[in-house]
Amino acid sequence: MGTDILEISINFAKMVAIFLLMVQLVPLLVWVERRGSALIQNRLGPNRVGPLGLTQLLADAVKFLTKEEFVPAKSHRFLFYLAPIVALLPAAVAFNAIPLSHPIEVEAFEWLGHTWGPYTFLFQGYEIGIGIVFVLGVSSLAAYALLLAGWASDNKYSLIGALRASAQMISYELALGLSIVGILLVFNTFSFSEMVSQQVGPLSFMFFGQEVSIPFLPNWGIFFQPLGAILLLAAVFAETNRLPFDLPEAEAELVAGYHTEYGGIKMNMFYIGEYGHMLVASALMVTFYFGGYHIPFITPDQINEFFSGRGHGATQASLLTALVLHLSFFAKIAVFLWVFVWVRWTLPRFRYDQLMDLGWKTMLPWALANTIITAILVLMMRSSWS
Amino acid sequence: MPGIEHYLILSALLFGLGMVGVMVRKNVIVILMSIELMLNAVNLSFVAFSHFNADVKGQVMVFFVMTVAAAEAGVGLALAVAVYKKFKELNIRFFEQLRG
Amino acid sequence: MEMSSILFYLLAAATLFFGFRTITVANPIFSALNLALTMITLAGIFFMLDAYFIAGVQLAVYAGAVMVLFVMVLMLFDLSGEARAFSRGMMSGILKVGGVSLFGIIVIATIMGSFSNILVIDSGEAAAGQALVQPTTRDLAVVLFSRYLLAFELLGLLLLVVAVGVVAVSRIKGGTHARD
Repeated sequence: MGTDILEISINFAKMVAIFLLMVQLVPLLVWVERRGSALIQNRLGPNRVGPLGLTQLLADAVKFLTKEEFVPAKSHRFLFYLAPIVALLPAAVAFNAIPLSHPIEVEAFEWLGHTWGPYTFLFQGYEIGIGIVFVLGVSSLAAYALLLAGWASDNKYSLIGALRASAQMISYELALGLSIVGILLVFNTFSFSEMVSQQVGPLSFMFFGQEVSIPFLPNWGIFFQPLGAILLLAAVFAETNRLPFDLPEAEAELVAGYHTEYGGIKMNMFYIGEYGHMLVASALMVTFYFGGYHIPFITPDQINEFFSGRGHGATQASLLTALVLHLSFFAKIAVFLWVFVWVRWTLPRFRYDQLMDLGWKTMLPWALANTIITAILVLMMRSSWS
Repeated sequence: MPGIEHYLILSALLFGLGMVGVMVRKNVIVILMSIELMLNAVNLSFVAFSHFNADVKGQVMVFFVMTVAAAEAGVGLALAVAVYKKFKELNIRFFEQLRG
Repeated sequence: MEMSSILFYLLAAATLFFGFRTITVANPIFSALNLALTMITLAGIFFMLDAYFIAGVQLAVYAGAVMVLFVMVLMLFDLSGEARAFSRGMMSGILKVGGVSLFGIIVIATIMGSFSNILVIDSGEAAAGQALVQPTTRDLAVVLFSRYLLAFELLGLLLLVVAVGVVAVSRIKGGTHARD
């Protein structure tokens, strides 16, 4: 956590701040979702409240907060209240483990008659060496929220939705886990920070013991693992329970699935959980396949030098670099969030057996093949034939 | 930092809980869960020994135990579901009558 | 007390509490949920013991897959008629007494042991364990895929057999996949 009181408290505040960042992005995403769906369906969407309908978010929040607090009579009250909280937690915990920007170097400084530092603050909640295993483990806990909600509601539709959801999540976790093995083999690490730091500069790799460099492409994971990227994208769609995989809440069949009985702020927490999963999924895609927070062809050192050259101190330059790279990260994430919205309002829903067939009979074999081929290629490329 | 004996005591207590669960519960699925609890207790002692001897072999063992436990849970649940579908019964005492 | 000791005692107390609830709650669904919580707190203890990969796998496999399977199966069954948690009869009465007394012996033994220090395993060596370099996930993989490769492959075979067996046991006619 840190060596002195200042470092510990800043690290703690960081976790809370990242959680709040996630929660605060959700209303914005809801707005993007509504306006985006309107754009795709050739409508206008919410545009009356405030400029571009942006204050609609505030109105929605007020509506959610002031709605009647409803609990079904025969429900399990404790689990009924617990489920929305459980829905919120995994996404928040997982999002905290992903590096959002370059670490900030703080030089030693005098404050309150005491010398503090020097510090290195990571731009993430906590750095865990096995990053990706942790994120997979934590996000697999999200299935409990759906199961609890479905069962506690004492409603047929809720229960069917919950059972569908958990079966779907378990099935697609296999494909999800296997699809990222390839990229783990390429980067040879579990840690997010190391993966990101390997994706700087132009595309370069070892080809039979010779260094090959392609100057006009960035050194992103997607060029090593195109199939893995597609499989991961499909699997995270299933994990977030969004169209075309939103069988758990298929409104034509199940009213609203596991959250049929939920309203007001509890419903809102399920929303935050779902959009939080979208954020985690987009962040994973960006970190694995699209260079993390790096701007293509520009190293963090170059940005740092640029700011130092403009007369900023070392600490200030490091902070500004981190902010610039953070913006770059969010620009990349925004693209994927838009893809989520775009796909949701474009593709129709799968039938349930089609969904299971896709997971077990298509994605799993492809992911396995991808793993094996990647393993063989990585071994061949890294060994020289001399 | 707590010493190894703390972890071993915790492991023994958890194992005892799992054992009592296997002996006194009547629902087959709860008995399966108690077995999982015992396996977890054993895993804890393996990891503790691995940590305090700085030897990775204990973790390898945990890896194997987890795989076997998952397989066991799969088979056990499939059997329980099959029996429940046919007889609408999950009491362990009922299983004594399954002959032939 | 140090930070890590406090954390350990909190996690240990939570683990024991949830483990106790697992075997005493009448409703099997609550039993399963408590067991899942036990596994999550155990994952926390594994993190404390620097077994990061094992902790992650504990979360993903045990808490995330095995226990979800249990909860799912229990929710599929309608077990609302479940009033009594424990079995009845002479045999199970003996088992009950035996089980509880065995557990009592373990508790007493650990308490006595912690007072009389018979359980403290050579504290000098244990203290030396802190200074040893903790194995990383890479070391785990190296050992797993070299020395224990045969066991690993056999486990793969076991999983395959289990998968086939489970499909055979639970195969039913009808449903969307019915062919005849």
